Amino acid sequence: MECILTVDINTSSVRIHAFDLTGQVLGMRKGSYPTFHPQADYSEQDPEQVFITTLYVLKNFLNEVIHPQKFKVKAICFCAAMHSVLAVDKNGRPLGNAIIWADNRGIKQAKLLKNSPHCTQIYEASGTPIHPMSPLIKIAWMSNEDPERFAQAYKFISLKEYVLLQLTGEYLLDQSIASSTGMFDIHQLKWHTKALEFAGITPDRLSTPVSIFFDEVGLKKEYSKSLGLASSTKLIIGSSDGCSATLGSGNIAAEKATITLASSGAVRVASKEILVDKSQRFFNYLLAEDYYISGGPTNNVGVVFDWFSQQFGNFDPRQDFEQVKAELLREAIQVSAGAKGLLFLPYLLGERAPIWNANARGVYFGLNITHGQKHLLRATVEGILFEVYSIGKLLAEHRNFSSISLTGSYASVPLFAQILTDIFGLPIHANTSVDNVALGTALIGLTGMNYFKNLNESSSNLPVTETYLPNAQNHDLYMRYFEIFERLSTKLEPDFELITALQ
Amino acid sequence: MNRLILQQGTTDLLQDFPHITEWVKLKVQHVQLNSFEVSSKTGIRVGLISEGKYDWSINGRGYTLYPGDVFLVFPWQEMGSPKGILEIGALTWIELKLSIFEPSGAFQLGSWSNIPESDQRVMGKIFSMNQNPVLAKFTVASVIFQGIEHELLQQEMGYRTRINHLLDELFITMVRHLSKTENFRRDFPQIFLKLEQTLRENLNHAWTVEEMAGLVGLGTSAFTEKVKGFTGFSPLHYLINLRITEAIKLLRQTNRSLTDIALSTGFYSSQHFSSTFKKLTGYTPRDYRKTQ
Repeated sequence: MECILTVDINTSSVRIHAFDLTGQVLGMRKGSYPTFHPQADYSEQDPEQVFITTLYVLKNFLNEVIHPQKFKVKAICFCAAMHSVLAVDKNGRPLGNAIIWADNRGIKQAKLLKNSPHCTQIYEASGTPIHPMSPLIKIAWMSNEDPERFAQAYKFISLKEYVLLQLTGEYLLDQSIASSTGMFDIHQLKWHTKALEFAGITPDRLSTPVSIFFDEVGLKKEYSKSLGLASSTKLIIGSSDGCSATLGSGNIAAEKATITLASSGAVRVASKEILVDKSQRFFNYLLAEDYYISGGPTNNVGVVFDWFSQQFGNFDPRQDFEQVKAELLREAIQVSAGAKGLLFLPYLLGERAPIWNANARGVYFGLNITHGQKHLLRATVEGILFEVYSIGKLLAEHRNFSSISLTGSYASVPLFAQILTDIFGLPIHANTSVDNVALGTALIGLTGMNYFKNLNESSSNLPVTETYLPNAQNHDLYMRYFEIFERLSTKLEPDFELITALQ
Repeated sequence: MNRLILQQGTTDLLQDFPHITEWVKLKVQHVQLNSFEVSSKTGIRVGLISEGKYDWSINGRGYTLYPGDVFLVFPWQEMGSPKGILEIGALTWIELKLSIFEPSGAFQLGSWSNIPESDQRVMGKIFSMNQNPVLAKFTVASVIFQGIEHELLQQEMGYRTRINHLLDELFITMVRHLSKTENFRRDFPQIFLKLEQTLRENLNHAWTVEEMAGLVGLGTSAFTEKVKGFTGFSPLHYLINLRITEAIKLLRQTNRSLTDIALSTGFYSSQHFSSTFKKLTGYTPRDYRKTQ
């Protein structure tokens, strides 16, 4: 049988899937690597470790699953998290670790750009909100705060480019990852001069972006030999995780929104047009030419529920953390919607969309003497999802959507899915039988090899395994809560700043 | 009894236990000046508060100890009351001189102990990484302390064996307690990140799965299962992953010899390094270096 492999280099691990040529999963392997926090605002990864882990998992997967079944690998298609930056010298050697999306060291540079007259122009051209996550800001940081590394840097690349550089010997960057750098003009499909100026670089210090279907460079001989791959095996460069997830949830044509609930989350819509927001609250990333993925990210989803579970879950040390969380979810189902008038703002890690306030902090609001642990628990889950709704509500002002596709690790948690359905008042579909990012990546690869006419066709008939329908009564109730939620999240802005100063 | 102070060399009761330098049990009813200055000792000190409240400085930081708390002070650390006095209350402590105990984690209890050497290595690592000298509400310790005192004073048949057993018991209980409290939050990604950092800092050590599991307070099979679930690799394969990662860096960024790189990243020999490296990357380390 012929197959295609997908390699997803995400924040915590590399996940490699095999699909047959119709998009059915044949197998999967993963390998994780850590994120280092040498200082409070820093989040870094070791590029060699990411590469070696990728190679190791790929090799084991091929030797233990693919080759023994005599599957023939037609192509390998790649996907990665957005926003990482790695400085390399002229021999391609890393200068320090890669700085990943979660890194906030560029707060000062982001503020500077926000207050500059070029801010609107750069945001509108690049589609990336002005925020420390953006490689534009990270490179500007390096030029100011780490001038030695900045001067030594021959190129600034992403982790995906680094892995591809090792495998092929060439600098390869797809337009989709490029569109998340804050420096790529998503209308003209070339680097944006004003943005590069702010970063302090010229275009030769970046790779030249190519289409996500680009397949003109192959594996180095040594690697295809040691991996046991035919020299005809294609490498297809692919896209980013957010764009692939949207494609893999099957909604780039229909009037649908995609919501990802994982450790962080996002609400996205796909369109042929860019979504224009005067307040610069949304991103517009390029999936492929003429396909834009627009939306907003939230920092506070699974990570907040994990926090709650660690602090207030069952403390029996023999119990596994996953069991503790499952038990809490069962308890939360027993509490009726609204947690008896208790509301939670989930901003434990500050927040991106829609308030874009790094100083935002968590709040339980409305506590009275009859509230117990279970109400705090229920309010925590609802608060996380109100925040997701606040992004969706804003998006709905620009785009019509009549249903939602749910992806990410929390898509398979019925409580989260049902509350989200009730809050939105719209039907929610999920396909929990497959990793949507991997599937989206496979569809890109298969489209690139002409098994589909275009991306629309590739994703038009994807299966759904679960459907949730809204409860009208709960929806009305939640809307009364949301009114207070929305007011508090903006009203508290000056107080968020004061309390953060004390932390 | 309000006061029992046994010191090596001044009492017959300790002559069979050269490793015990001091056994002290005090009930303090009057505060005495200059009775408890901040100082360091040559041995490891383990003590239990049974009454009162003590404000002490240990290793340069202030701690308040309450009944049920145990303190654990290493030979290179200072301990005492900043005011120099021992406040009213009751406490017991023992000081032991170990064969080897260094801040790096090198650790050997001595010939009196029955704890296998490999376990002692893990103990040393866990002690050396411990940041908190106070084990709060560590109540099991009081049973062990009572047992030791009883055996010391009664000297019934078999008391030598019993006392050394109780000391082993004390060390094992403390180490298990430390690695469990450290990892109490059960946040395996966090726990694993700390383990990874320790492994990276000691890559040239010939780690066993047992040692790694001990560091995070898990049994070997539970540990292996968790590591596999979380990382996708068995513990030893994860370790190889780290060794190769570091070796690649050294190959690309330094001129160090292959043997030197092999040994400093934990391979037995340059042959072992070459074959492992080639199996994964398709290049021998020498060829890989040439391509750079």
